[in-house]
Amino acid sequence: MFTFFIILPFWLLYLNMDYLKEIAIEKELIAKISEQKNKIEQQQKELGESLEYASSIQSALLPDLRLFYKIFPDSFVLFKPRDIVSGDFYWYARKGCRVVFTAADCTGHGVPGAFMSMLGISFLNEIVSKSIPRANTFLNRLRENIMKALHQTGERHENKDGMDIALCVIDLDKLVMEFSGAFNPLYLIRKGVLHETRGDKMPIGINAITEKSFTNNIIKLEKGDLIYLFSDGYADQFGGPNDKKFKHKSLRELLIKIRKKSMETQKKELERSFITWKGDREQIDDVLLIGIKI
Amino acid sequence: MWFKRFKIKNYRSIVDTGWNELASDNITGLIGQNESGKTSILEALNSFYNGIVSDDILRSDLSLPEVSCSFSVSKNELKTFFTEKKLPEKIEEFILDSGQITLTRTWNADKSSYLSFGGEKIREYYSNVEEQRKKQDEKTMLELHCVIEEAKKAEKISGEVLLEAEETKKEYNTLLPVLTRARKIHDKNPNKDTQNQLQKLLLEEERLKRRLEKKRATLDSRLHKLAELSDKSRFAQLCLDSLDEHENARLHWEGSYKELSDLQYYFDSLQTDNEIKGIKGKLDMTNTQHLENDKKLEKAKSRADFRLAVTSRILKGTDPSEAEDFVEKEIRKKAAYYSEIELADESFKHIPFFELFEDFSSLLPNRIDLEDIFTRNRSVEGIKAATNFLIVSGLKATFFEERSSRILKQKIEKLNNEISLNFQDYWRQSLGKDNKIKIQFELEHYDNTHPDKMGKPYLEFWIKDEQERLYPKQRSRGVRWFLSFYLELKANAIENSEKSRVFLIDEPGLSLHARAQEDVLSVFEDIKEDIQIIYSTHSPHLININKLYRLLAVQRAVEDDMKSETVIFDPRSLNEASTDTLSPIYTLMGTKLSDHQFVKKKNNVIVEDTPTYYYLSTIFRLVGYKKDLYFLPATEVNNVPTLVNLLMGWRLDFLVLLDDDPDGNRVYRELRRTHFSNNEELASEKIFRMESIGCIEDIFSTIDFKNFVLHKRVGITESNSEHIEMNELSRAKLAADFILDVQNNELKLEDFDDETIDNIQKVVKILDKALT
Repeated sequence: MFTFFIILPFWLLYLNMDYLKEIAIEKELIAKISEQKNKIEQQQKELGESLEYASSIQSALLPDLRLFYKIFPDSFVLFKPRDIVSGDFYWYARKGCRVVFTAADCTGHGVPGAFMSMLGISFLNEIVSKSIPRANTFLNRLRENIMKALHQTGERHENKDGMDIALCVIDLDKLVMEFSGAFNPLYLIRKGVLHETRGDKMPIGINAITEKSFTNNIIKLEKGDLIYLFSDGYADQFGGPNDKKFKHKSLRELLIKIRKKSMETQKKELERSFITWKGDREQIDDVLLIGIKI
Repeated sequence: MWFKRFKIKNYRSIVDTGWNELASDNITGLIGQNESGKTSILEALNSFYNGIVSDDILRSDLSLPEVSCSFSVSKNELKTFFTEKKLPEKIEEFILDSGQITLTRTWNADKSSYLSFGGEKIREYYSNVEEQRKKQDEKTMLELHCVIEEAKKAEKISGEVLLEAEETKKEYNTLLPVLTRARKIHDKNPNKDTQNQLQKLLLEEERLKRRLEKKRATLDSRLHKLAELSDKSRFAQLCLDSLDEHENARLHWEGSYKELSDLQYYFDSLQTDNEIKGIKGKLDMTNTQHLENDKKLEKAKSRADFRLAVTSRILKGTDPSEAEDFVEKEIRKKAAYYSEIELADESFKHIPFFELFEDFSSLLPNRIDLEDIFTRNRSVEGIKAATNFLIVSGLKATFFEERSSRILKQKIEKLNNEISLNFQDYWRQSLGKDNKIKIQFELEHYDNTHPDKMGKPYLEFWIKDEQERLYPKQRSRGVRWFLSFYLELKANAIENSEKSRVFLIDEPGLSLHARAQEDVLSVFEDIKEDIQIIYSTHSPHLININKLYRLLAVQRAVEDDMKSETVIFDPRSLNEASTDTLSPIYTLMGTKLSDHQFVKKKNNVIVEDTPTYYYLSTIFRLVGYKKDLYFLPATEVNNVPTLVNLLMGWRLDFLVLLDDDPDGNRVYRELRRTHFSNNEELASEKIFRMESIGCIEDIFSTIDFKNFVLHKRVGITESNSEHIEMNELSRAKLAADFILDVQNNELKLEDFDDETIDNIQKVVKILDKALT
């Protein structure tokens, strides 16, 4: 008995020890998980904070729009990033009577897009440092800069990042506009009719085939002309009753519909339509739309 | 002040050279065959400075010589040069505009000369002022004679009126007793007859009274007018008297001047001391007389000018004393400004010192009479060199006055130890074995082997180096030339340390061997910062092939006709000079360049380097350019001036197309300065820059460069040329591949984008304008 007694406690002890061990492990795990959770939360917080900070840097890089509205009193810039930081960016500059403005859409959104957009803005500032060249020269030079920065040489496995862009240079004295686009088009509404000038089917960045000079489209402007530049975030948004893309066609129709309204109202209408179309769904990409009335 | 340009008229074979610019880097060479007129140019410039001309310089048509020289002057210099009086504003404006002061020396028939101030603009300005003054004087003279005439007339008329008045009075006086008598008769026996008689006489009296009053009134007005006119006439007469005085003074001056020059001429021709002594007194007297006449003339002139100006105002109605005050004031005001003559004289004080260096008088002789040195006898060989030697050694005539020949010899010996010349004071070249050469001199006296000079002192010179002591003429001509030139430089620096200097050197180192001639050129290079050199030569060794812009070609207007006039071709028109004139250049260059296929008579376009040559030739072919043009590549931008010189030397037409980069711009400025006297307009007709194309590869847009030249897909954000440099690519290989592509028809003009085509059109347009 004594032995039994002696054994039992050992066994029990053994059982007890196992149990205790499990409990200890569990506790340890819980502690670990909690620690990790804290860590993740901390990281998330930090990431959030960094992103917020990145966002403020990105906004600082984007040009101040007050001068833009001074140059074009009847105009709007509709800019709705999907995340904290954006892959779309707008940019403009003025030298004498020449004004250049652009709506660009970098590959990817969020952080990678933001990085690319910051590169783009820096390069554009550099290009415009001496004078405002022709619209296609802007794109040609921007492409060289991106290719050089990303070490793109046309090799098969290298990254193909870059951006799509629509860029206009307006001579305010002569009322002549030059337009150059990398994939993105220009919409011009004159006397109720929408004219589309398509961009070249080449990106700003390495292309599958040899680089060619972008086309410099020259358009004589008239008073009352409406000019729109945009990224494809607006047209690509899923939504509506059948969860489909909004599409460029609808955008064109919407623009024609609201053409007679002031640009400020047009911005509101476009924003409202976008929210309505999106409904509860997520915004799938950054949205950028620039409208100018001459 | 630097000597910038010259113009010579009527000097030996020269009729009118027109303005000739000197090389901007202070060495100007005159090349040309013998008898072409090179020496005449140097002598004319020397004459400009010292005013001396010899009989043989006059042209057969007796047109008088005139030499004009321009000197650079800055605003600050202008302030320091003209301090005593004011510079007329207009003149200052002209000077500052051109940055130059021009002086012209004109000789009279008697070989005397005078300086005039200013280039064409200033002279025109002065001649206009003079013209106006002359017109004004003429007008005054006319008015002056008129007044005198009118005064005479008025006097005559007044006399007549006076006579008439007196006659009327006489008549009246005769009537009065008749009237008294008639009145008495009527009082005694009043009747109708007496009444009538009295009435008639009374009427007559009344008439005569009225007539008398009228005559008196007329007389008063006439007399008043006469008084006025005679006042003016008196001043007019005074003026005429002054003018007469001036004219008389002038005649006297001319008379005494003629007498003096005749006497001087006669005096100069005298041989014996007795004759000279006899005439010397008379010459001095005549000279004194002439100086007096000169003073008188000056006074008479200023009096006449003063009277003329005063009279001109009086005739206009100004009060005489006011007019005098006014004119005096004007004269004082005018005197505060420099006159034309004063300007010329004052400027002349500041222009560089001109010195003509020629072998006969400037090469150190073996011996020279002391007397010749002190009387500066120009006809003695080596006179200048000997004088220079004395200046350099600091010796004056008093040194030789020592009576004891022993002491004098001791003094000379001591001095000889001190006179060793170090060429390195002036130039860097090593001449011969040693740069230190000693010159020794000794005072000797002629012995009985020279009976005519027996006992007279002379100096003997020796040139001594470590090894031997030789007479100058025993040394090589090169050493003698350099030594003498050195003496000249040194003496000149001692005597004219304050001024910049111009050395006129006729055929330097003539008959020196080639090496020594090249040394001469190096010496010029060494001293050019301090001394401007103008030299004549027909030796190729005295020409720097890379600096043909320094040359002026001198030749006769009609080749081989030594009677035809001398003409000068500046570096820009060297190609118009004859082959003979340019033969030194040809000799230097070897074979005639235009015989080669790649250089043509005209439409040669010099470009910076071979790649530029390849690209441009190919591109112009691609464009289908119609005119003939021949691109000539320099091996690099710094060699463009050499190629320019070569083409100029061979009289071949050329254009220069440079890159629009710092080097290209530098060479542009250099060519403009050296070959086009800094004249932008002239330079821009011959030298062009590819606007905003820093290097020929930059003619392509980045994309075209990548696609058609580089054949590589990389991002290029720098210029194409920078990309080539950074990646150490071979420009020649890229250019060659490009040419092959074009030759194989793989590339057409349409393949290029707008940016490239714009650039190409820009370059084509630049050249097309200039090509013939």
